[in-house]
Amino acid sequence: MIGEISHFLSLSAALLLSLVLIFNLFFFFNKIHQNQLTLSTRLFNQACWLVFISFGMYVYLAISDDFSIAYIASHSNSQLPAFYKVTSIWSAHEGSMFLWIVFLTAWSILFINSLDKKHPLKKLTLLMLSLIILGFLLFLLLTSNPFERILPFGVLEGADINPVLQDPALAIHPPMLYLGYVGFVISFSFITAYLLNGNFELQWEQDIKNWSFIAWVFLTIGITLGSWWAYYELGWGGYWFWDPVENVALMPWLAATAFIHSLFASSKSNVLKTWTMFLGILIFALSLFGAFIVRSGIIDSVHSFANDPQRGLYLLSFSGLITLLALTIFAYRLPLLNSSKLVVTGSKESFLSMNNILMVTSIFSIFLGVTYPLIIESISGEKVSIGPPYYNTIFAPLILIAAIFIMLSVDALWQRSMTLKTLFITMVAPTMASLLSIYLIWQATNIFSILAYIGIFSGSLIIFSYLFRTINKKFINKGSAIAHVGMGLLFFAVSMNSILSYEKNLNLAPGQSISVNESVQNFSFKDIRVFKASNHDVISAQVLLLQDGKEISLNPQKRKYATRGQITSESAIHASVLKDTYLTIGDQLENGSWTFSLKINYFIKWIWFSAALMVFGILLTIFKKKPS
Amino acid sequence: MNQSLRLLIVILPILILVFFAKVLLLDEDIKFSNFESKNFPAFELNDLNGDPVKALSLDGIKLVNVWASWCITCLVEHPFLTKLGEKNIQIIGLNYKDSDFKANAWLEKHGNPYLFSIYDPRGDLAFDLGVTGAPESYLIVNNQVVGHIQGEMNQTKWETIFLPLITNAKQGS
Amino acid sequence: MIKKSFILFSFFILSPPVFNQMVYEFEDSLQEKRFYSLISEIRCPKCTSGSIASSDAPVSRDLKNKVYELVLDGSTDMEIKTYVSERFGNFSDYRPSLEGPNYFLWFGPFIFLALMLAIFFVKRRV
Repeated sequence: MIGEISHFLSLSAALLLSLVLIFNLFFFFNKIHQNQLTLSTRLFNQACWLVFISFGMYVYLAISDDFSIAYIASHSNSQLPAFYKVTSIWSAHEGSMFLWIVFLTAWSILFINSLDKKHPLKKLTLLMLSLIILGFLLFLLLTSNPFERILPFGVLEGADINPVLQDPALAIHPPMLYLGYVGFVISFSFITAYLLNGNFELQWEQDIKNWSFIAWVFLTIGITLGSWWAYYELGWGGYWFWDPVENVALMPWLAATAFIHSLFASSKSNVLKTWTMFLGILIFALSLFGAFIVRSGIIDSVHSFANDPQRGLYLLSFSGLITLLALTIFAYRLPLLNSSKLVVTGSKESFLSMNNILMVTSIFSIFLGVTYPLIIESISGEKVSIGPPYYNTIFAPLILIAAIFIMLSVDALWQRSMTLKTLFITMVAPTMASLLSIYLIWQATNIFSILAYIGIFSGSLIIFSYLFRTINKKFINKGSAIAHVGMGLLFFAVSMNSILSYEKNLNLAPGQSISVNESVQNFSFKDIRVFKASNHDVISAQVLLLQDGKEISLNPQKRKYATRGQITSESAIHASVLKDTYLTIGDQLENGSWTFSLKINYFIKWIWFSAALMVFGILLTIFKKKPS
Repeated sequence: MNQSLRLLIVILPILILVFFAKVLLLDEDIKFSNFESKNFPAFELNDLNGDPVKALSLDGIKLVNVWASWCITCLVEHPFLTKLGEKNIQIIGLNYKDSDFKANAWLEKHGNPYLFSIYDPRGDLAFDLGVTGAPESYLIVNNQVVGHIQGEMNQTKWETIFLPLITNAKQGS
Repeated sequence: MIKKSFILFSFFILSPPVFNQMVYEFEDSLQEKRFYSLISEIRCPKCTSGSIASSDAPVSRDLKNKVYELVLDGSTDMEIKTYVSERFGNFSDYRPSLEGPNYFLWFGPFIFLALMLAIFFVKRRV
């Protein structure tokens, strides 16, 4: 019963949104109705609330173990804790699409109602948002219905969800990511509305500034959580593989980062307006592209949902339609938008333009890497694989150029060029300090890798730029400084991780021990324990390490889950400031010994910390009160 | 310059859309696979009866099927292989990482569609062939590997991937 | 007791008779680095995505062992990658070779960057 009501509410929401669109279309060709906006807003709000209530009911269905709903039956189980019953909703396509729509709706209702009723763009933005939400609702209801029943009586017990998904980080990762992805529908719709409206005297940046910054924060947290989860759960000790699904999340992030910088220039100095508008549209277009790639199964990835060309076609067409709509209006209005200001070389504007160019180049590179195998395969049938070797090689020089520009731009002025003297002073100290760092690291580690050293140099350049500026007591925007230092730290930590980390594969019987190297002085495989846990059998290895004079106890496990017979590996991680000791147990051999994979990963904590810095920095810029 | 930029902003997404639509509509199984033919790797192995396998036995048009007694999906394709055998397609088995005792028992129990099976307990020949697991199938024409199918063999795959290769081979000779 | 051994049994695999405590022993650290670098660039033939370094599939294990043998043997990175590609196809190398259309792949981003910079310097308006 509740399932039917929930379904009905979603259908009604779709209906209401259609009414909003039809109603406004009708009055487009006739005289404007005096209550048009009020009525439209009311209908829109009601539609949004229907979506929320529908989803709320769906959550209730999941918690109350309604296994007559096919989706809940195949992704949940009565033995799951309530928290995981809820999170199982977004563990696969239909449910996660539902969540996506809920967030889309939430952002939209908040934004629309934040606009004053006399705001000239309110109606057009509302229409744009209605169209987008409606499109996704129809996608959900027509091709990916989460409300489908198993008739006549449902099943007695749900299938256990993939044990790999029963994890707090993985539970929050999709909501954070989606909040980020769909948050940029605001800038997308508002900018399109602005372009449609045609009054280019209007100021628009302030209205979407904070909304975009907050969406950026969610997107950053979402991507970081995914990376963090992959690191501690998947067992290979890596945190980023340039997998297509990771890439399609990174592209909107790059566009969003460019956007918030461009927005800054656009509102401060009246330049880069067309860039900012283009980027504002691009972000959501890339989010749509990401949704398409992941859900159509068109690209092989560990992360993809099931292959379904029908869904893929719908998503492709709908995303294409929306994006083309926005871009066509943009292209059409372009001549009227171009400002007549000349950009002075060496001015802050010029650096921000460079930044945009670099970001778009990065996006292009990733897009090329993701689509290249598809292109080649459709031409010659040959299969090509593109992964870390490609992306790392391409990104190293781009990061270096970006770092140099960040260093130079910190002291740049609006609309004026820097003097050569300023340029020199800005450059000297950070460059010297960075070169010194490279030299010291080389001496200390005796390792040389061109790509990694470019990364270390770039990161150092950024960090030192801000450091010296702070020391010189020049004015510095704290939030911006912290965020950029975070970025520099990320480059630094990733590069250090790549040159210092190493792996050892061991084969020991219980009771045996081995001296691995100077650092891991003793690896002692004490015992292997076998026991039963709630829904799985566990094999737990008791390992005692003597590392750098300290005793560390690690218990990597292998688990076999009852319901699906799936075997997972739980790595044991000891994380300290400089490095993570990461131990995974392999298989048992005929002679009773076990294989182990011991990975020493350096600077991992610094990577997470740098993401936290970036988020903190941006939050500071949003919430810091301006000096009166 | 401005005019062409404006056109590009609209044309580029359209091109991308069309490209992805095209890729989507291409069925996964029937994707044109440009397989580079290579010589069948040299090997020195026995068959499941313990007799050495002669290289000559790979002349003509042969289907080499990778199977094992531990492989569950192999049971799924087994009826289809039997059917092919009845249609006079010559099938040679490649018993992969198995025990000969268990393999022979499996054939006893389920039937033997193979002319004979190469016994490859360590997977050496399989490795040189590029086998990724069982079941897998290779089409051999005069000691040349000309086709490869991962996963179980079925009517669709047979018709769309191997049959055209066989027709080509027959026309050529 | 029986249950315990049953559980243990389900994690069993066949193995070569040699028992070496270090699974991969090398003559020097350069060899070791080369090995780990190579296996992170060779794609797992059976997985949807990922290198053989991160895969536990039997064929990945076989590949790792083979790469290990070849590294000890003195084969160069190029030779090892060719060896693997001959058996598992070009798609097993995560580093696309620099030939034919792959030139667009490797230089594309920089051509794009150069183009954008050129347009920017010519127009100088934003």
